[in-house]
Amino acid sequence: MQVETPLVLLKNRHLGRPATFEEYRAGGGYEALIATVGKRTPAEVLQLVLDADLRGRGGAGFPAGKKWQGIPAGYVGPRYVVVNTDEMEPGTFKDRILVNTDPHLVIEGIILCAYAVQATEGVCFIRPSYESDAVLIEEQSQVARDHGLLGDNILGSGFSFDIHVHRSAGRYICGEASAQIKAISGLRPNPRKGGPRTSVKGLWDCPTIVNNLETLANLPGIVRNGPDWFKSLARSAGGSGTKLFSVSGRISRPGCYELPIGTPLREILDHAGGMPPGRVLKAVIPGGASTPFMPDKYLDLEMDFEPMKRAGQRFGTASIMVFDQNTCLVGATLNLMEFFTRESCGWCTPCREGLPYVRHLLRLIEGGQGEEEHIGMIKDMAQAMRSAYCAFAPGAAEPLLSLFEYFEPEVREHLRQKRCPFGNPPPAMRGKACGTRPPTFGPTPCPEDQCPI
Amino acid sequence: MPDLIIDGRPVRVPKGTPVIAAAESLGIVIPRFCWHPALGAAGACRMCAVMFLDGPVKGLEMSCMVPAADGMVVETFHPEAVTFRRRVVELLMANHPHDCPVCDEGGHCLLQDETISGGHALRRFPGRKRTYLDQDLGPFIQHEMNRCIHCYRCARFYQEYCGYLDFGPMQNANRVYFGRFASGPLESPFSGNLADICPTGTLTDKPGRYKSRRWDCQRAPSVCPHCSLGCATVALSRYREVVRVEARENPAVNGHFICDRGRYSFGYAASAERPRQARADGVPTSMSTALALAGTRLGGVVEAFGPEAVAVVGSARSSLETQTALTALARAGGWRGPAFFADRTEQQAVAAALAALAGGRARSLAEIGQADAVLCLGVSPLHDAPMLALSLRQAARAGAVVAVADPRPATLPLPFTHLPLAPDKLPGAAALLTGAEAADAAAIQRALPLSPELWPALERLAPAFAAAGNPVLVFAPALAAQAPADARFGLFPVLCGPNAAGAALVADADAPACDDLARAIEAGEVKGLVLAEADAAALSPRLAAALPGLETLVVLDHLPTPSFAAAKVFLPTQTLFESGGTLCNNEARLQYAAPVAPPGEPVSRDGRGGHPPRDYARKLPGTDPLPAAALCAVLALEMGLDMPALSFAAFTGVGPEDVAPEGTRATRLPAAPTAPAPPSAPPGQGLVVVRDDALFATDAYGRYAPLARAQAPAASVVRLHPDDAAGLGLADGEALTVTVGDRRIEATLAVSAAVARGAAVVPRLPGWAGLPAAIGPETLRRRQP
Repeated sequence: MQVETPLVLLKNRHLGRPATFEEYRAGGGYEALIATVGKRTPAEVLQLVLDADLRGRGGAGFPAGKKWQGIPAGYVGPRYVVVNTDEMEPGTFKDRILVNTDPHLVIEGIILCAYAVQATEGVCFIRPSYESDAVLIEEQSQVARDHGLLGDNILGSGFSFDIHVHRSAGRYICGEASAQIKAISGLRPNPRKGGPRTSVKGLWDCPTIVNNLETLANLPGIVRNGPDWFKSLARSAGGSGTKLFSVSGRISRPGCYELPIGTPLREILDHAGGMPPGRVLKAVIPGGASTPFMPDKYLDLEMDFEPMKRAGQRFGTASIMVFDQNTCLVGATLNLMEFFTRESCGWCTPCREGLPYVRHLLRLIEGGQGEEEHIGMIKDMAQAMRSAYCAFAPGAAEPLLSLFEYFEPEVREHLRQKRCPFGNPPPAMRGKACGTRPPTFGPTPCPEDQCPI
Repeated sequence: MPDLIIDGRPVRVPKGTPVIAAAESLGIVIPRFCWHPALGAAGACRMCAVMFLDGPVKGLEMSCMVPAADGMVVETFHPEAVTFRRRVVELLMANHPHDCPVCDEGGHCLLQDETISGGHALRRFPGRKRTYLDQDLGPFIQHEMNRCIHCYRCARFYQEYCGYLDFGPMQNANRVYFGRFASGPLESPFSGNLADICPTGTLTDKPGRYKSRRWDCQRAPSVCPHCSLGCATVALSRYREVVRVEARENPAVNGHFICDRGRYSFGYAASAERPRQARADGVPTSMSTALALAGTRLGGVVEAFGPEAVAVVGSARSSLETQTALTALARAGGWRGPAFFADRTEQQAVAAALAALAGGRARSLAEIGQADAVLCLGVSPLHDAPMLALSLRQAARAGAVVAVADPRPATLPLPFTHLPLAPDKLPGAAALLTGAEAADAAAIQRALPLSPELWPALERLAPAFAAAGNPVLVFAPALAAQAPADARFGLFPVLCGPNAAGAALVADADAPACDDLARAIEAGEVKGLVLAEADAAALSPRLAAALPGLETLVVLDHLPTPSFAAAKVFLPTQTLFESGGTLCNNEARLQYAAPVAPPGEPVSRDGRGGHPPRDYARKLPGTDPLPAAALCAVLALEMGLDMPALSFAAFTGVGPEDVAPEGTRATRLPAAPTAPAPPSAPPGQGLVVVRDDALFATDAYGRYAPLARAQAPAASVVRLHPDDAAGLGLADGEALTVTVGDRRIEATLAVSAAVARGAAVVPRLPGWAGLPAAIGPETLRRRQP
């Protein structure tokens, strides 16, 4: 059963290439900006966003308006907007689709945010593998600048704002707001905890709003059509807006789908063509790699922040990875642990040392060398990882703990058969080197067969 | 003042205190690796997890990250917290190499303590251990990365606290590596502290490596004698040799850290060149023979020429006990002196600097870290008093304005403004910044008409200093007259020796200075001289030149100085490590250094590298030296003098029994003497000679410490402003011949705009002491190939 759903963010997607400035304009683009800059006060824009209950799309779901309110009233000095386009959560590819569909929607959203918080500079933080997106934003920003919509004295209103593109050196942790600010500042991107929020003390110690790119892309619609319209888009009771769902894994048509927030998982999978013939759904990871496995009993759960939280699940970035009955979830979890182990920033013990610990035990289990005691050890450590410095290791612990919560028999089958029951070959015990540096880099030579990671 | 309950015991702590420190005030030591009182919380090791049962924070949290709050109920032994801490130790030990038998940290290793106290004995983890390659970090710090538990203390200290960036964390995940981009000596002059703060054996003290287990060392609280700040140290001695010096916490002075000069210049005490045997006319003899000879010779001089013909010279490096004994000896004999300073001006300057501290205006090193504006006047912090630079950095981190008005090039690990001004321009610059009102542009231009490049900086600084609520003036004694009357300004003099303040307190106001004595020797009025722990060549070249005119020269010392070589009678004295002693630092704070080991030739030499000798019948070699104060008493006895019982309390107002562990400020400061006239431009043409310390081997002790000497720059450098160099027709990097008296010194020229116009910066080394106040082309000459 396929129903037409309203397209807000991806309405220009049918073009098959990035929509041009003219195409975006033709669909009412930049109307919100023109109606706002110099005509509404920043406080009015902020109120619209608060009323619309726009929640952050980067994973944590923090209300965007509340974040903006965190800037100290009466602060004099530069303010910054950082657009988080790091998007390194495995399974998530919505920002890339969004930028490549309608770059000006994104640019307009950034300018509206900047206007609401009266920022003068914006920084697009983009992961290195999105180089083409970085170029696209740079090119299209220039187009906006040429039309007087960006840069000095926007539309003659006296409000000036410009966008810079910062190319990340590429680490998952740089997606964390405080780490991202350090990365832009040229510092080691360890997350910062305690002390003032980034909205008080961020980039160069000035108030800085760090928002996900998709969050900001919702702003033109909210400003143009009003909060009530935005809320009416959602299907869940307390939700608002639409959401880009990145669907991947064992599904007929993997891809990025824009659907109302609160759409049940079953419908989302239907939009993606449902399970391929002969495949039966075993579990999904509903919100990117740092959310727990969700077994099929939750298929009718509304995909929104609050309903999922109530069910003990996490909405995250709404990146749905689908696993069928033939997928080894130990192998899948191991794959995630390989990723998290490699991407830890190395600041705190449970993350830096705990992840390699559980990864090694999972490698043993998946390779048929697991022992009964390993299961207890993994559970012990996963529990300890929950008390790490930032949300990274607790996030990594989510799929791990849920593996044992819902699929422990599958793990024990590995121990009993002394091999992977799904026929996976034993994993490499060492040396899945990251491949991003030459082996001679740094003080520790890292040959492929001895890579400690 | 939050009230909270930790392990069932109520405690009230100041606001902002982390729970881990609140627990410590109850005597409950929560396990930790990354937390350090000076570095604050990092939350990296996760070792200090405790259970918060009630209050604003609930659940398992890190006690270092949570500030104490009202109503908190904390349990450190909650089963969940204990289990979590067990996991952390298990993780840390999963990769630790267990090489404790060969690790220098063994016995004072936090990782050992926590592993044992946590009961972690068996490694469950079946995986391999991670290994790293180590780097050569220079002569002071040994690198053993495999032992690292990644607490980030080193990086936070090195980069954030000290402001040096050549050492830090690299790579990510379980490959995090603390090191440098490439092997090489650490650039920070505070790098030795890494050995103190590293909780494992990753960074250990290289010179002390494999010398001894720490628990086998004799240890005693000591005071650093390598500049005037008097930082607290711990000396560790083993087999009759000081093998290591560590920082000791003194919250009022150095906090937790010391500089590398203070840490690695101890080698003079065990140096092979140290004279340990008495000499009579250059021939080794017994102590009693030498003492008898000294008595006879001096007695002969007194008999022939009267008591006025004997003089006593001491120095700023002796303890107060020695300085007091010298005074008592001179008084008993009716001799001249003791003289402690090169000339009257210097003595008056130091007295004036101390007099200015009266009325609660003295600031401690710790208080400088809390100042909001600091002007260093005629002081180059990193070299004159290295730990001052670290305090300035803490002030700058908190937003303080720092300015250094000094003719020498200054490098500091903090944002600061350098005002390179010749000595005679410094009073004018000080007046601009220490007035109650901000000096305006016109006043600045009037005061420094020839330095337009400094006007913008001064215009920026003047309002900041005028608006500062807690400014401090750090000054050299010669500029004591510039101490502003404005009581806002705290004062912090930087003096010329570890006990220069003591010397100024002990010396009579009308006591002769070395130059006066030299004149008297030249005039034939003084025929006998007692030179106690003083090097005439370094102290006063004129006195050194006059020494041959003496009938008898009695030298008491433990350093092989040129004066030792010239001595008719030599009496070996004990070092501070052996005799102990009280030193008075630059802020007139008396501190006691306890003796750590008896004197004696180190076993490493005595035993010729073999097993410690077990021949109990023989007298231990090199044990002749006595405390200089004791030698004075015996000498008085030999000469039949009645030495008055004198305590340094008579000069300082604080007796030996009143000196508190963290030091006690002298209560009797010199009555405000007429401050010497500020430096004026030298008569005639020429460049003013300004002496510059190096980090190592320019202080009196460091010059005789092999390790410190090895760090000294190979070639002497003369620094000039580009204009002055052009005036002399010299270019940067040129080889020079510098004429000092009748000697020629080879040096290279460094030209830099960071040198004041009209100043020639030369090293503060004894060989250079004979330079006149101003020099010109006849002194600085291009070396002929």
